[in-house]
Amino acid sequence: MRAVWHAARAAVRRRRLQTLVIALVTLTSTAAMVVALGLLDAASAPFDKAFGKQRGPHVVAAFDPDKVSDAQLTRAVRGPGVEAAAGPFAQATVELPGDGGMNFGLGSEITVVGRADPDGPVDRLDLWAGRWATRSGEVVLNRDPGWTPDDLGKKIHVPQGPTLTVVGFAFDLSRTSDAWVAPDQIAALHPTTTQVLFRFADASSEERLRGQLATVTGGLPADALTASRSYLALKHQVGGSARAYTPYLMAFGILGIAVAVLIIGNVVSGAVISGFRHIGVLKAIGFTPGQVVAVYLTMISVPAVLGCALGTALGNLLAQPFFEFVFMGPDAGVFHGSASIAPWVNAVALLGMPAVCLLAALAPAVRAHRLSAARAISAGTAPRAGRALGIQRRLASSRLPRSVSLGMGLPFARPGRSALTLAAVVLGVTTVTFATGLATTMTRFGNAGQDAFQVTAYAFNVKDGKEIKPEHDDLELQSLLGSLPGALEVTARANTDVRVAGSAHEVELEGRRGDRLQLGGVLTEGRWMRGTGEIVAGSAFLRQNGLRVDDRLVLEKGDRDETAVVVGEFMESNARQIVADWSTMTALSPHEKPIAYHVKLRDGADPAAYVRAARAADAGISPTVHGSNSITQTIVGSASVLTLMLAVVASLGVFNSVVLNTHDRRRDLGMLKSIGMTPRQVTVMTVTSMAVLGALGSLLGIPLGVVGHQVVVPRMAEAVDLTLPSYMTDVWQVPALSLLALAGLAIAVLGAFVPARRAGRLTVSEALHSE
Amino acid sequence: MVIEGSRGEAAAVVRLDGVRKEYGETTALDGVSLQIRAGEAVAVMGPSGCGKSTLLNMIAGLDRPTGGTVVVHGENVGELSEKGLALYRRRRIGMIFQFFNLIDDLSALDNVALAAQLTGTPARQARRRALELFEELGIIDRRHAYPAVLSGGERQRVAVARALMNRPALLLADEPTGALDSRSGEQVMDLLLDLNQIGQTLILVTHDEHLARRCASRLVEVADGRVTGDHTLEPSA
Repeated sequence: MRAVWHAARAAVRRRRLQTLVIALVTLTSTAAMVVALGLLDAASAPFDKAFGKQRGPHVVAAFDPDKVSDAQLTRAVRGPGVEAAAGPFAQATVELPGDGGMNFGLGSEITVVGRADPDGPVDRLDLWAGRWATRSGEVVLNRDPGWTPDDLGKKIHVPQGPTLTVVGFAFDLSRTSDAWVAPDQIAALHPTTTQVLFRFADASSEERLRGQLATVTGGLPADALTASRSYLALKHQVGGSARAYTPYLMAFGILGIAVAVLIIGNVVSGAVISGFRHIGVLKAIGFTPGQVVAVYLTMISVPAVLGCALGTALGNLLAQPFFEFVFMGPDAGVFHGSASIAPWVNAVALLGMPAVCLLAALAPAVRAHRLSAARAISAGTAPRAGRALGIQRRLASSRLPRSVSLGMGLPFARPGRSALTLAAVVLGVTTVTFATGLATTMTRFGNAGQDAFQVTAYAFNVKDGKEIKPEHDDLELQSLLGSLPGALEVTARANTDVRVAGSAHEVELEGRRGDRLQLGGVLTEGRWMRGTGEIVAGSAFLRQNGLRVDDRLVLEKGDRDETAVVVGEFMESNARQIVADWSTMTALSPHEKPIAYHVKLRDGADPAAYVRAARAADAGISPTVHGSNSITQTIVGSASVLTLMLAVVASLGVFNSVVLNTHDRRRDLGMLKSIGMTPRQVTVMTVTSMAVLGALGSLLGIPLGVVGHQVVVPRMAEAVDLTLPSYMTDVWQVPALSLLALAGLAIAVLGAFVPARRAGRLTVSEALHSE
Repeated sequence: MVIEGSRGEAAAVVRLDGVRKEYGETTALDGVSLQIRAGEAVAVMGPSGCGKSTLLNMIAGLDRPTGGTVVVHGENVGELSEKGLALYRRRRIGMIFQFFNLIDDLSALDNVALAAQLTGTPARQARRRALELFEELGIIDRRHAYPAVLSGGERQRVAVARALMNRPALLLADEPTGALDSRSGEQVMDLLLDLNQIGQTLILVTHDEHLARRCASRLVEVADGRVTGDHTLEPSA
């Protein structure tokens, strides 16, 4: 074993550059894989993970403190089925006039809970900035980590109440409150509600949760429970966006792992193949075949293990800011804390990647194991008959500068090595192509309907735990919202459950009235409804009910029915939803009132100013600004970063090939320089040889990336019951493809440039002497 | 029979003045001064590791001296840039190596034509010139063969053809028969002799006294990085 170690150590020292390349490739590949696996992990069941980590409440219950005491509630929460409970906490509703709440991204009316600490058996808050409020005059705000911690220390003035200093920001996935103060402070805010947070043993369905809550509160005075909310509604809301982007992230994660593994295989096996002569020499001096294999595996393991260890650390370092960027947006907090690298990812990277390296080295090492010493030596050094003679001859006769034509011929002279390099470039180009297409699709997906409306005014409001109704009636309210400064279009929306004749399941009929019946919807087929008896449905609904555009169906509600024709299909993953105009809905449900009004503003109008005006016009509505699309940011962000990482890995694969080629061709390069080739010509020749592979890589990689996009994207959309319109999937145009073709060249040229320059500077006498 | 020769400075095409070359702590050349006139055939001899190949590399512009000057045809080789050195080798020098140093991936003809193509000679013209040389060197039948299938003698003839391709002022040969059998070696010796007789300046490094006496008119002896002898040789019978 000592001889093996000595030989391996000497080989590592002698091949410093190659050792460095192996270490670099394993480092970047492992880092890419850690991020990719981390993405896969974070993107699968994100809500459950984050909710579990925070031990989120299955039910948030509000009680009337005038009807039930804290002592009664404390006794009640020990009831059957309760796994854990937090509270009772006093809860106040605080009005913040002007920009008091808006300055912190909150509304003009916020809920504040008196709570001693952010931990506890239920609802463990993520205090991500500052500290907990422990004294009077301090407040912690519920903000996701995308909010700026610069707001720490700012003041909130409560009318006829204390002035509160923001001492911390905590994220609560379950949204149990907008802010928290110390229990001693809450009395000054005049609490009107008592909050209790429950975790139940069986949280599998709404019915079971409702039943268990009824059991727990059964012994309390009547009407003590004023409101309750289950986590399932929140899960559905959050899961909607997660469901949409999980498949895309998974596709990328898998691609990242594939590229990392293949490039490592390429680099490591290339290193062993280039060492055949050395293997022959070792055998000639008495190493057994097994010892030779051991020398090579040890030689590869040293940089590989080091690269994997550093790569894992780098992956963890990169993942945190990357995830924070990727999972930014309204649902960012869902991933906060949970979107870090799981221990199993590190374990896989630390054990799996060295194993991949060893496996990659094993195949050529075993081949060397079988070769006789003489054959191994000759495989490494013997001059071979020229290959691809016709190509070489034609290139030699061409009008191209000789350095260029020589470079173009090189890949054909060493087809095995060229194939490995080509594989690296193809993978890189495929990744770049796929990512570019994906990002374009997602950008179009995210932008679809974004300009349809900027403000949604819900036709209700809650104050002091009690619902307030609008002061104006339905039509007056629509007219009022349309008359406010900045308003351009107002569309009312109402929902009612109806049944499709012949089906046992209810569907949600959304009736629309006003200026823009399509709202933000994107048609994939047909047209939008124009009058009574016409509906537009999502792909999921049509698929589940075996319907197509132009088919008829009968909708029933109570003793009323209405025949409707499907005039269009739109992009909607909710299989229970269909859309009709107002008259179709009222034909089935005459007294239905709008639940929301969607307002499109004139260009340049300020949505926040409109919201303030709407709130002032009618206190019974809750207008909110329509947020940006976080899904797009997630996909485009992750696609960009992963593309960059994988392109770097692919470039390193090319770099490695050029280093090996340069090493193999030292004698040729020395000879060429001895007959007058300039360093620049050597560089041009070497870069050209890789540019040829880059061009070929583009020719192969672009179609693969396009096919990957065309296969993966629609299927992923189907997985979430979406049919994407063609303009979202037909993202390939000649200019874009031309630019992508340059990607292959860029990867190859970037990877080749440094070793090519090095080859150009090779000292002739040294190169020739080495023979 | 060795005769001390006289050296005229006016006609010197190669002038080395106090040339030193160090590789780390090893001194390969230690203050070598030497002049070579146009049309001379000079053999450089000495034991292994004495610095004779290093001396040739300095003249060929394959390496730079650590000290002193190497002037060839008025050009101070040590002061040339990398590109300047390449152009110098291209225009002034033809180099023949012990182990041929042909490109395995190119045919014999393309190996030779390559040298001219690097100077910008059109491919067709370069091939025509290469074919002339193949004809002269007696290897015209082997022009399309690849180095791997050529004999040692044939490979060295191809290497000679390549060295002569750009009509160099200096033909440098480093152990040109060292890797050849005696018959092939004789053929290469004849070739070098013929070239010198038509005026080609020749510097050859060898430890083969027979080759030196056969091809050279002057013998420079090197030991421990210094010139220890410089003699005119009588033409051998």
